[in-house]
Amino acid sequence: MRKLLALSGFVTFLVAVPAIAHHGWSSYDNDKPITLTGTVVEASYTYPHGTIKLDASGKTWVAVLAPPSRMSARGLSSTDLKTGVQATVEGYPSRDDPTEMRAERITIGGKTTELR
Amino acid sequence: MSPGSQLLHALEHGGIAAAMRDSMWLYPVVETVHIVGFTILVGAVILFDLRVLGLSKRVPVRMLAGHLLPWGTAALLLIVPAGLLMFSSDAANLVGNRAFVLKMLLLMLAGTNAAAFHMGSFRSAEKWDQGVAAPLSARLHAAVSLLLWLGIVTCGRMIAYA
Repeated sequence: MRKLLALSGFVTFLVAVPAIAHHGWSSYDNDKPITLTGTVVEASYTYPHGTIKLDASGKTWVAVLAPPSRMSARGLSSTDLKTGVQATVEGYPSRDDPTEMRAERITIGGKTTELR
Repeated sequence: MSPGSQLLHALEHGGIAAAMRDSMWLYPVVETVHIVGFTILVGAVILFDLRVLGLSKRVPVRMLAGHLLPWGTAALLLIVPAGLLMFSSDAANLVGNRAFVLKMLLLMLAGTNAAAFHMGSFRSAEKWDQGVAAPLSARLHAAVSLLLWLGIVTCGRMIAYA
């Protein structure tokens, strides 16, 4: 009985902690998908994840992309992701930073790459 | 810039950190080394904690400690350098990451808890080496250790999503 109680406490913990800690993922607002089109003014194809700065309608956004290995596997190479190109990103805005968004997909030169 | 943020800046702009960011394979390899290391450490800790909590009482506690704990300590040779490498690649960002900060806090608590156990309850281990329940204080240390390590693993995983 005591072991059963201990086990149930254990399982509760396993479920509860991710629920609390998971708060961070919600720092991007899934209820407000946005699409931005503009010029890439800065690009980094780096771990833990690539990012671009995008000038879109008078505002410079930081779009968080995916790890380079994933982007590469899906056909988005470091040479595609360079300053000066036109890009469209679809994703979710940060709740904390009004200039940051997490991109679900990116379109460059008519080619769309899924990032999740 | 404060000395702390200067240090983070220097770390993040060093050659090793840059290699971690730019190499296609280095980051995933280092991540894997970190994981292999902590499976050994956390596996050893959890199995030992469960024994102190009263599972498999036929196994002598001191013999199990002598077997598992050196493996756990040795695993730190994989875990810590790999962790520092990953930290350096994104240092300034990570110190503001809630999951990372909580993980470091829980690690300090787990270390303190383990040290207190070894300097306290574990000294009387010959009296509860085999076949009998460990004293309440030892079981409390083990329970706290289990919860802390599960929290540490969870926070580690959540760093990417925080």
